[in-house]
Amino acid sequence: MSEFLSLEDLTLAYGGSVAVDRLNLAIRQGELIALLGPSGCGKTTTMRAIAGLLAPRSGTIRLDGKDITRVAPSRREVGLVFQSYALFPHLSVFENVAFGLRLRKEPDLAARVAEGLATVGLSDFADRAPAALSGGQQQRVALARSLVMNPKVLLLDEPLSNLDARLRLEMRMELQRVQRETGVTMVFVTHDQAEALALADRIVVMRGGAIEQVGTPEQIWTEPASGFVADFVGFETILPDPETGGALAWRPAAVTLGSGPHSGVIRGASFAGAHREYVLDTPLGVVKAETPASAPPLAPGAEVAFDLPRERAVRLASA
Amino acid sequence: MFGNRVEGLALTLPAAVFAAALFLLPVGILLSEAFRTPEGWSLGAYWDFFASPRNRTVFWRSLALAAEVAAASAVIGYAAAYAIVSLPPKSRGRVFGLVILPLMISPVARTYAWLVILGRTGFVNQALVGMGILDTPLRILFSETAVFIGLLQLFLPLMIISLVSAMENMPRDAIPAARVLGANWAQVFLRVILPLTREGLVIGGTLVFTGSLTAYITPAILGGSKVLMLETLLYQRVAVANDFVSASVIAMILIVMSFSANLLLKRMASARRARA
Ligand SMILES: Nc1ncnc2c1ncn2[C@@H]1O[C@H](COP(=O)(O)OP(=O)(O)OP(=O)(O)O)[C@@H](O)[C@H]1O
Ligand SMILES: [Mg+2]
Repeated sequence: MSEFLSLEDLTLAYGGSVAVDRLNLAIRQGELIALLGPSGCGKTTTMRAIAGLLAPRSGTIRLDGKDITRVAPSRREVGLVFQSYALFPHLSVFENVAFGLRLRKEPDLAARVAEGLATVGLSDFADRAPAALSGGQQQRVALARSLVMNPKVLLLDEPLSNLDARLRLEMRMELQRVQRETGVTMVFVTHDQAEALALADRIVVMRGGAIEQVGTPEQIWTEPASGFVADFVGFETILPDPETGGALAWRPAAVTLGSGPHSGVIRGASFAGAHREYVLDTPLGVVKAETPASAPPLAPGAEVAFDLPRERAVRLASA
Repeated sequence: MFGNRVEGLALTLPAAVFAAALFLLPVGILLSEAFRTPEGWSLGAYWDFFASPRNRTVFWRSLALAAEVAAASAVIGYAAAYAIVSLPPKSRGRVFGLVILPLMISPVARTYAWLVILGRTGFVNQALVGMGILDTPLRILFSETAVFIGLLQLFLPLMIISLVSAMENMPRDAIPAARVLGANWAQVFLRVILPLTREGLVIGGTLVFTGSLTAYITPAILGGSKVLMLETLLYQRVAVANDFVSASVIAMILIVMSFSANLLLKRMASARRARA
């Protein structure tokens, strides 16, 4: 079996309330996995359990052939970059990165720290206090602090969420580069589907404490398994399919506006740069459509004909 | 805060005059008592005070007990504070309320409660004798142990409050981050919790130490004349012997020790920071 990290029937709870319910997931060595899902679906909870910060109510966690379910976090060889960075404010950047190495009595401490800081492009900041860094720099220190430990698995909890658009892109490439160079198995949390699609080898879509779908970005993008996943990857119009009893889903671009057998009233219109987005009230339900920006704009309140071509829809087992 | 220094000073003037006239001046007169002799100024009263073996015993006992109470409350306080900040917010408020509750009860009532618990026929002795662990009741009251227990119970909440607020100001996830990086609990405490809460520890430690040093009711009731502390000795010198010179010496010692304790704790805290 090629699986490196596996979660088997993992159930996680806070006091009485179950946050993650019988989760099963197998991850291969060197994979880059995105954990995608809306707020509160149990992403952080799952990460904390893998890191050993939360004891599972039941189930097993295996890493590199060993059952680590009851192993203390300090001995798991799992790295975790926290959503809040969690840098130590009383220590310099250097000492933050050196923290774990010192505990290990690493003989080559200074060189390893320097290497870690160079990896994230912060060599000139070793003597700064974390408070004197920007958000993105703090995040990179947190990344370096975990990386220098050479963990078997590196968990990143929303590593890009607090960055502005440009830094985000930069950090994205940074993560990919680090992953390529080190070959470390990575699991990162996000609720941004574009980020998951761009970065991950496989995407795990979570909902309400359970896995909704696991697949490559291509699979998730083109063959969503449920209405929930379809909605998440941009199939914004989901209508029941009377022929199969299931449902059909269309992206806005797949909807033909201006001609077709159906008609609806434009409720909302917005300009999105490359295209214009419309929300239509129709007898079938709410339909979301878009036209190229070069097409003449349609005014809200106007009645417009449209078509929902079957060949451009994805089939779902249920809405 | 004040753009104009003069204005700021003017505003503090009434309070300053009040404090000077009604507090500093009398304290100054009282304290100077010990330095004034018929032959002029001298340190003789201090020599005389420390020449007496009984006074020396009382001095060292007070110092040791206050330090022990401060140390014990730090140990218990850290455990309690960590437990409290780990609670979900709702129960945190409730438990915090329980910690503060004793502060709203008169120390006299709290100390008398110990008489009931620790006395010859109190709970502790009844339980120990009843379970056959002891043949005759233990004499706990009027011992240093009784004073220690009383003072600890009296001042522990101050330590817990200081440490809870210090811990609440720690960055979220600092502790789990350290654990994931390989720290065991002792290392988490020494390398993360202690440095990040040292201000709280200094405040709590100063409050508990000074409080224990200057408490009167608890040593008076639980220690009596068997376990004299500086504070009870001071009262005895004034009320029984009308000896204001000794009283003044003791008062000065208490003030110096309180300030020194605070300075020492601060020094220890910043030394640790410098090394880190
Ligand atoms: N310390 C806690 N005590 C009790 N319940 C908690 C605690 N932490 C999280 N939960 C609950 O567990 C569920 C999952 O939370 P989790 O933090 O894993 O979500 P998430 O997917 O990381 O969300 P987000 O995207 O907002 O970070 C939520 O319903 C949350 O309210
Ligand atoms: Mg989260």
